[in-house]
Amino acid sequence: MTRYNVLLVGVGGQGLLTLGSIIGNAAIENNVHVTIAETHGLSQRGGSLIVHVRLGEGSSPLIPRGAADLIIGLEALETARYIEYARENALVVMNEFLWPPPLAKTPSLNTIIDEAGKRARLYIINANKEAERATGLVVTANTLILGYAIGVDKDFAKLLGGIDVVEKALARVFRGKALGLNKKALRRGYELAVSQ
Amino acid sequence: MVAIPAKYLLAPAGSKVLLLGNEAIARAAIESGIGFASAYPGTPSTEIIEALAEMAKDVGFYVEWSTNEKVAFEAAYAASLAGVKALVAMKHVGVNVAADILMSSAYAGTNAGFLVVSADDPGQHSSQNEQDNRWYGFLAHIPVIEPWSPSSAYRLVKAAYELSERYRHPVIFRSTTRISHTRESILLEHDIPKNIKTKGVFDRDIKRYVLIPAHGRLLKKKMMEKWNRIIETEGREPFIKIINPGNRKVIIASGIAYAHTIEALEHLGRGNEYTIVRVSLPVPLPRKPIIEICREASKVLVLEELDPIVEQQVKKILFDEGIETKVYGKEYVPLNQDLDLDKVYRAIKAFEGLDPSETPWRPREPIKTEPPIPPRPPVMCPGCPHRNTFYIIKVAANKAGLRNPVFTGDIGCYTLGFQKPFKTQETSFEMGGSIGVAHGLSKTIEEPVIAVIGDSTFYHAGIPPSINIVYNKGRAIVLVLDNYYTAMTGHQPHPGTGYTAIGEKTYRVPAEKILESIGFKTYVINPMNVRESIEKVVEAYKAYREGGQVAIVSRMKCALQALRDARRAGIKLPVYGIIEDKCTGCMVCVNLLACPAIIVPEDGKKPRILPELCAGCGLCAQVCPFNAIEVIRPGDPDWIKAWM
Ligand SMILES: Cc1ncc(C[n+]2csc(CCOP(=O)(O)OP(=O)(O)O)c2C)c(N)n1
Repeated sequence: MTRYNVLLVGVGGQGLLTLGSIIGNAAIENNVHVTIAETHGLSQRGGSLIVHVRLGEGSSPLIPRGAADLIIGLEALETARYIEYARENALVVMNEFLWPPPLAKTPSLNTIIDEAGKRARLYIINANKEAERATGLVVTANTLILGYAIGVDKDFAKLLGGIDVVEKALARVFRGKALGLNKKALRRGYELAVSQ
Repeated sequence: MVAIPAKYLLAPAGSKVLLLGNEAIARAAIESGIGFASAYPGTPSTEIIEALAEMAKDVGFYVEWSTNEKVAFEAAYAASLAGVKALVAMKHVGVNVAADILMSSAYAGTNAGFLVVSADDPGQHSSQNEQDNRWYGFLAHIPVIEPWSPSSAYRLVKAAYELSERYRHPVIFRSTTRISHTRESILLEHDIPKNIKTKGVFDRDIKRYVLIPAHGRLLKKKMMEKWNRIIETEGREPFIKIINPGNRKVIIASGIAYAHTIEALEHLGRGNEYTIVRVSLPVPLPRKPIIEICREASKVLVLEELDPIVEQQVKKILFDEGIETKVYGKEYVPLNQDLDLDKVYRAIKAFEGLDPSETPWRPREPIKTEPPIPPRPPVMCPGCPHRNTFYIIKVAANKAGLRNPVFTGDIGCYTLGFQKPFKTQETSFEMGGSIGVAHGLSKTIEEPVIAVIGDSTFYHAGIPPSINIVYNKGRAIVLVLDNYYTAMTGHQPHPGTGYTAIGEKTYRVPAEKILESIGFKTYVINPMNVRESIEKVVEAYKAYREGGQVAIVSRMKCALQALRDARRAGIKLPVYGIIEDKCTGCMVCVNLLACPAIIVPEDGKKPRILPELCAGCGLCAQVCPFNAIEVIRPGDPDWIKAWM
């Protein structure tokens, strides 16, 4: 009975901890044990960020390299950086967004897409653009990409009890206006995946 | 299922909630009935007091951010002397700051449960070292409890308070980054108590509380008695648990190593072949269960993070008993970095004599490109006032003819100034160190010396060394970076902020008043006004060259907080853009400022500002030699208020 491993990667400030929290609360709603190892402190200042979500019994918090069933990447360079974590045939859902660090030269988005595609079942979505279109706010890109990931990864969706349970779990994380907007973003991401 | 209130930390017994390890510690402390909590922030301990501060008014206990760990410790310890249950929290290096009172507290003991939470940082995720604070248990004769997960932390905090009350002794509760910063689903077992004791009595007892040598000698004897009693009688659940007794192969796993061990054995399919001793009281390690389990064992593997603290005790216990079972430990797991499932899996395989390079997981081949994927170290945020200040003090040094100054540095967001293009942090050892080090250098080198220190760090440990400069005629400039908050650890208030931990208004203690009364001629600048600030700093440097004692306070709100305040108040901030026709592609803005909002697109000719990242500080516009950077989306007329 191995645990289901979901790696969240991106840049400090992109809302990775919130994303982890939504998944965790959905797991609770669905009665599945969960641990989420976060990164706090210095790396939150625009640094490379990695969050380990593990679904199922157990409390060892870190995913070994080569054991991630699903990677959700909010930024392309970070997705590429942590691709080692993917197991064979893993799913990788990547935001079509490349954010170069200051003063750095980077490979192109297309090169990353090519290379990542050789290593995993890669899904690309422009979550920033879709989020802005759906809610007017780029910051909801993380919720949108979660909806998308639930749409493409059936095992993940099952562990969280499906899109309705995840939507319900949003109420444990957001209140008021933010809750409505995130519900919209989640649904939109899900639709984009299942309508493919 | 029980309904979860907005403040999920106050949820009733029976609720299942997602708690960060630090929140689990906070909730358990509330359930245990604490009346007093204090701390100085520090990763990975900060969220304990943040969580408690949020609940303080609802539940009715006292919480504060103290000026440093020593003060926090003294305050919480005093509460426990008055009979009020107390908690003090700090990061591992904070215990160094509080070590003096820590030692004494073990001599005098306590009158109500008292927990010293030390959040260690194996792997150095956010710290200057990865010291193993379980050693402090030996040094001070204070028992150390270590959990293996957030949910175990929740239960063990309560057990630790009972232990503390049983012996009227402080207890160190040692968490680590991977416990403090992991969320787990946790079933709450108890409600929040109704009657919290926040007031007590100080029963005078000079022989106990005045540690003159004659009293100390007697107190030490009592302390040793407690210590030995703990070793003899606490070798039971929940501190020591034996799983699968009767096997000849034994793993003794302390703290988080236990969590890794269980899963590694599952992957190996060897769970039933081992007797596991789960250790949550690593210091002092109770003798009896160790003797009992190891006497019949064929071989023993001790798994623990960092130093071989349990391993050495096991070896001593077995040696004293004449038990010859071979004990292994640090042969198989490293002395540095955090442990994980992979490392523990390989350790157990090697211990079994199997090939440790074979694991069930196969990493993908890393992506290699040209140019390669660049590293992404943390950087100063767009709009960060430290960027402005660093730019200003370097330009001013050139203007004032201050040649080749040495910038001693400190700990905080501004430490990032060690990087190009600023390099205005050339040392960083420990909090407050910039000023003492600057003084010593100023006495021994020719170059001018500037100590660069954050505001919170100044209040924490920067004041005695500032006095020392003036008293001993040192030749260093003190520069305080006042961004109103302890930004690095998440914007906790401090004595310069004007608010307490629970958001109540209080006195402000401005840094310039302190510096002036010490004897520094103190210049205050607002680094958003770049030109005016450069002039003032040039003046300060000149006064310094003429032999004056000079200090500078650079005051501008942390950009993250300014953005937050703007959002809350519905204030629109200006956004800058680069006018393509005017831009010559000289890259001055890029190379002098390294702002994450300014990027160079793939074609690499002219930089661009990402509008969604621009904080509107305007520094780039003031730096551009061709006036090619302008406001492209004006802010509200009073936008500057968000920054004040
Ligand atoms: C003894 C000790 N306590 C706590 C910390 C954690 N810590 C690192 S930086 C910092 C505060 C920085 O605040 P400030 O000086 O105001 O600088 P800012 O981050 O706001 O720029 C703290 C508390 C530490 N490193 N050492």
